[in-house]
Amino acid sequence: MKKTKSRAKQMLLASTLAVVSWSGAVQAEDAPGMFRSEFLQGNMGWPEVTAKARAEGTVNFYYWGGSDIINLWIDQVATPALAAEGVTLNPVRITSTKDTVDVVIAELAAGRGEEEGSVDLVWVNGENFFSLKQQNALWGAFADRLPNSVNFEWDESDPRSLLNLRDFGVETGLQEMPWSGEQYVCSVNRAHVPVDQTPATFAQLKAYLEANPGKFTYVKPPHYLGNTFVQSVLYAHNPDGTGAAPYQKSFEELGGAELARLMEPGMEYLKSLEPLLLGGANGSPRYPENSDELDNLFLNSEVHFDCKFGVFANHNGLITGTYPEQAEEMIFPVGNMIKNKNYLTVPLNSPHPAAALVAINYFSSVGAQASKLQAAGMPVGLDLWRLNDEDAAEIAAAAPPHYGVTQQELDANIAPDTNASLVDVIEATWLAVIERKEDKPLADIVAQVSGELNN
Amino acid sequence: MIGTASKLRDIKAINPWQRLLVLAMAVFTIAPFAPLIIQSLAFRWAWPNILPTVWWFEQRQRSPFPLAWDYVFSPSSRVVEATINTLGIGITVTLLCLVICLPAARVLGQRTFRGKNQLEFLIALPLLLPEAAIGIALLMIFIALDLAGTYVGVIIVHLIPTIPYMARTLTSVYQGHGTDAEDHARVLGANRRQIFFRVTLPMILPGVIAGCLFTFLVSTNLFLLTFFIGQGHIVTLPTLLFAKISGGALDATGAGIALIASVPGVILLIFTDRFIRNYPLAE
Repeated sequence: MKKTKSRAKQMLLASTLAVVSWSGAVQAEDAPGMFRSEFLQGNMGWPEVTAKARAEGTVNFYYWGGSDIINLWIDQVATPALAAEGVTLNPVRITSTKDTVDVVIAELAAGRGEEEGSVDLVWVNGENFFSLKQQNALWGAFADRLPNSVNFEWDESDPRSLLNLRDFGVETGLQEMPWSGEQYVCSVNRAHVPVDQTPATFAQLKAYLEANPGKFTYVKPPHYLGNTFVQSVLYAHNPDGTGAAPYQKSFEELGGAELARLMEPGMEYLKSLEPLLLGGANGSPRYPENSDELDNLFLNSEVHFDCKFGVFANHNGLITGTYPEQAEEMIFPVGNMIKNKNYLTVPLNSPHPAAALVAINYFSSVGAQASKLQAAGMPVGLDLWRLNDEDAAEIAAAAPPHYGVTQQELDANIAPDTNASLVDVIEATWLAVIERKEDKPLADIVAQVSGELNN
Repeated sequence: MIGTASKLRDIKAINPWQRLLVLAMAVFTIAPFAPLIIQSLAFRWAWPNILPTVWWFEQRQRSPFPLAWDYVFSPSSRVVEATINTLGIGITVTLLCLVICLPAARVLGQRTFRGKNQLEFLIALPLLLPEAAIGIALLMIFIALDLAGTYVGVIIVHLIPTIPYMARTLTSVYQGHGTDAEDHARVLGANRRQIFFRVTLPMILPGVIAGCLFTFLVSTNLFLLTFFIGQGHIVTLPTLLFAKISGGALDATGAGIALIASVPGVILLIFTDRFIRNYPLAE
């Protein structure tokens, strides 16, 4: 009753206001969830999916819209390509993926179930995927069932499948499709730092900063860029010398005491780095809130280095004018340049699930991945060894240039991401030790923050 | 106020101190626009350079994609869609707000009744609540009502912070006029419709215009409520701008969008200022 009344009110207002593009039309041909269960059980061929996608018509794609070059690629390449398949891509640009996750969860809480939501497709990874998974807000295990799934390694016995099957250590359960593979890469401003002074290890970074105080900072945790920097410090300072290996375990497997023991030297290093960071000489080091702020410090020569996720961040920074003219990439920290993937997923209450699958299939194609690489500087998410020579050559030809380093050097220094259950504990520990300057044994802090997180 | 404005036009009639103050006001008003305009034309502008080291038009030929104003005016920037949405929502909100507030303000301005002061306070209350608190609470309700992500929802939510402004302005306008002229008209045989359109409205028109101007400006600058209720579906100039400046740094396209976002307000201010100054019934 209430619903029809509000709908009538909407129609009335909408028509009087002559507002055109809004439409509350809901498809109601078949029972919600039918398509989902049929597809996931394997009872549906791809032609049936594409036919249903054309009937659905639209796909609402929520993605971080802060990059002009990504926006341009979506509008100029992806939208027309999907239109050719009979699906209208409706790109919804967002500032924070968490907001969209919140919308999905709020909708489900408000009783908007299967096919009744508003989000069809989200660009996601890490904690945001973890939240959706925890809330049972994901559509299902589709990732190995699309025609272009052949471009990815799904065989668990092959260790190279890890990045497709685990997102920050969380099992993806095939509920998200890799879109792009990124690496944590630092750039250096050659106007200030000659090649022979470029640090390759954390000890060398500290030595450089002792000679040039204040010329480095990193994005503040809990931003994922800050977390990633802290993780690479922890890997490099692992007292057992096993690097990233123990950080692949979950918090339950590892235990708080063991985690504290592993973290101790890394946290000591971060503490000793504080006075050498930007503004650290006055006792208040400045940690930028996000990568744009750090880019600006880098552009203005306030810092000499800029670390963030982006295999082609240096190239993108140069062509958009956000990096200084003499910016070059560097291999730092040697052997611990964290690599991960980001993904596309479908929420449980996606109103156009078939169209979402068709869109994901398009985004996973060699052609789309190559043009995204070339135009938007986003590395491919597919696995090159799965491609035939011709396709692999197409991808290779599309790659933007590197500056000062080679792709082989970047590939030789890869480290995996930290387990998502540890990420929360590590970020809370950083906040306690570095930001609040709590002067307690690290084991106590880890025990305290992990206790708080579990409640 | 209109009196002072006309005096200020003759700058020689005021003493040097006042002249200095006028200059300071002008600097404060215009100065923020200067770096914005330069930034919108820059490709690379780093500290400590006073001007960009590379301008947009120098880089233009070399760039593989549209830069700065080229991007702002390309369909990908969504500036056109955002401008249409902003203006459409702003105008609709202003008109609805006027329809709601005119009768209310008349009662508040010309009648006395018990609880009137409390009622006036209640009307101002939404201005005291943080936008974020209203937004999150309403989002849940609007989702349940099917209003989230719709123009109707956004328009309704824009009424919340605008009604207090409009109601206040119109109340003081009615207070200032009394009911004498309307009483005369009634005695002379005018009906209610005639009284409103021939007597009341012309009298209060400058106040109505001022109220509308404020409502429109508030509506066209609302970010948080638009973002929450519009769910990103409804792009307005403030939501577009926020996505560009959330990094604390404004790039050339962000600066361009900011300049475009300020255009409707500037045009409207000039227009209404002229209108009110030349209005025959203005004191």
